[in-house]
Amino acid sequence: MVLSRTVLVLPPKLRAELEEIVRGGYPLETCGVLVGEQREGGAVVTGVVSARNIDTEHPADRYEVDPGDFMAADLAARAVGRELVAIWHSHPDHPARPSETDRAAAWSGWSYVIASVGAAGIGTLRSWRLTDEAHFVEEPLLDQDAALPAVRGDPR
Amino acid sequence: MSAKDRRLAELKQLVPEVTPEEAEARRRAGAVLIDVREPDEVAQGSPVGAARIVRGFLELRVEDAAPDFDAEVLVICAGGVRSLFAAEGLQRMGYTNAHSVVGGFNRWKSDGLPVEVPATLDGAERERYGRHLLMPEIGEAGQLRLLAAKVLLVGAGGLGCPIAQYLAAAGVGTLTLVDDDVVDRSNLQRQVLHTDAGVGRPKVESAREALLRLNPTTNVTVHRERLTSTNVERLFAGQDVIVDGSDNFPTRYLVNDACVKLGIPNVHGSVFRFEGQVTVFWPGRSPDPGPCYRCLYPEPPPPELAPSCAEAGVLGVLPGVIGLLEAIETVKLLLDLGEPLVGRLIHYEALTQRFTDLRLARDPSCTYCGDGASFPGYVDYEQFCSSTGS
Ligand SMILES: [Zn+2]
Repeated sequence: MVLSRTVLVLPPKLRAELEEIVRGGYPLETCGVLVGEQREGGAVVTGVVSARNIDTEHPADRYEVDPGDFMAADLAARAVGRELVAIWHSHPDHPARPSETDRAAAWSGWSYVIASVGAAGIGTLRSWRLTDEAHFVEEPLLDQDAALPAVRGDPR
Repeated sequence: MSAKDRRLAELKQLVPEVTPEEAEARRRAGAVLIDVREPDEVAQGSPVGAARIVRGFLELRVEDAAPDFDAEVLVICAGGVRSLFAAEGLQRMGYTNAHSVVGGFNRWKSDGLPVEVPATLDGAERERYGRHLLMPEIGEAGQLRLLAAKVLLVGAGGLGCPIAQYLAAAGVGTLTLVDDDVVDRSNLQRQVLHTDAGVGRPKVESAREALLRLNPTTNVTVHRERLTSTNVERLFAGQDVIVDGSDNFPTRYLVNDACVKLGIPNVHGSVFRFEGQVTVFWPGRSPDPGPCYRCLYPEPPPPELAPSCAEAGVLGVLPGVIGLLEAIETVKLLLDLGEPLVGRLIHYEALTQRFTDLRLARDPSCTYCGDGASFPGYVDYEQFCSSTGS
């Protein structure tokens, strides 16, 4: 079985923030990026950014993060000594697992967080990364910041 | 007066003596009683509740038995002479309250004081486990603990073989193997207990024979059956450690759930192509509970994203590395030694020879081991792991 060599730390407050955006966008597919720090063994999320979904032809089942929003988020993150660590999107009425389209569009070195959402609310959140063999492997999504050793002090 | 007698007279000035009866009263009140006789003497009987440290190792090992240098320490030997020398040695180490028991164990016995026959290693065991006995962290007490231990291995395959082999060699007394498979020639590239002549035979039988050839005193129990929610509790009950060497998700979730319910540590390993990982899932640990498998992966991966080693391959030597890391964790848990891999996962990459250490946290809202969670029951694991929806 494919093994994850990373974890993604998403503190509860930020998870709630992300879930709120996903719920608010339902039944459309919402997307964005996660700001944070790459560390040995994974990434720690420090901020959630929402972006426009520019796949206007299939807004319910495809996503493409607006490049302008992506670049703005990247610049803002760098300005405070952070970086973009993940891309997130929702799967309205579908499980939180990557589709073949998701896999084909993914880059290695990033986490891909997928939130399943339905009329009743949020289902599950799962995080995936590409392996060297271009397989998706699920990485544990942890809520505790202590899960990864700090490599530098808080830049703020 | 001989030099010996002069020395003894000197020691009697230095070391206060107590009668056996007085020693027993003080032991009951919290004093540390140390029997410094040789193992063959101790094997015939020793004061109840005594620490047993052979005279030659007394100074090296006494601090485990008496960490407080101001505590009352009572030393006993056979006749009350060796104990004088021993107690004086303790004084020189800094023990301020060391005494010798006058008349020794001979008088202890004739005074009718309580005696027990401690479990001891026999001569053959002493020889076999000699390298363990040399290490004070294990010693005779630790080896006796291993011999009394019960470990169950799920799977007698790539991981199970090296784990069982080394645990049997190390003297883990009772090993239980659960596997319903038969030996296939394609297993022999890594499943080192099986042989070419054993192709077609049940893996548990082949493994048992190999283990008994290595260590005939091991109690090897085998179950040629697949682990299911119906038999899991019967098989796991009374085990000290469960070692998961299974190769499929339904079994991993089942092993996890049963270990969470029974509070047993679950030594977990897995391999894939050139990489592997090891951790110990033990939410029942107190203090410092760790996560369970479901804290990390509440749901199994979609089948199309979870190729098995049968589909993707595995480097033949790799299960040896990962299996032996699991075996080491097992021995550490049995001896309560060092820092177990609870809340930590080691990921090993063979091509770069890199170990990555991941810290894992327990999920307080985990449905199986979370705060205040009551056991939700076993599920249909095949169905759970093959379903496409979630
Ligand atoms: Zn759990």
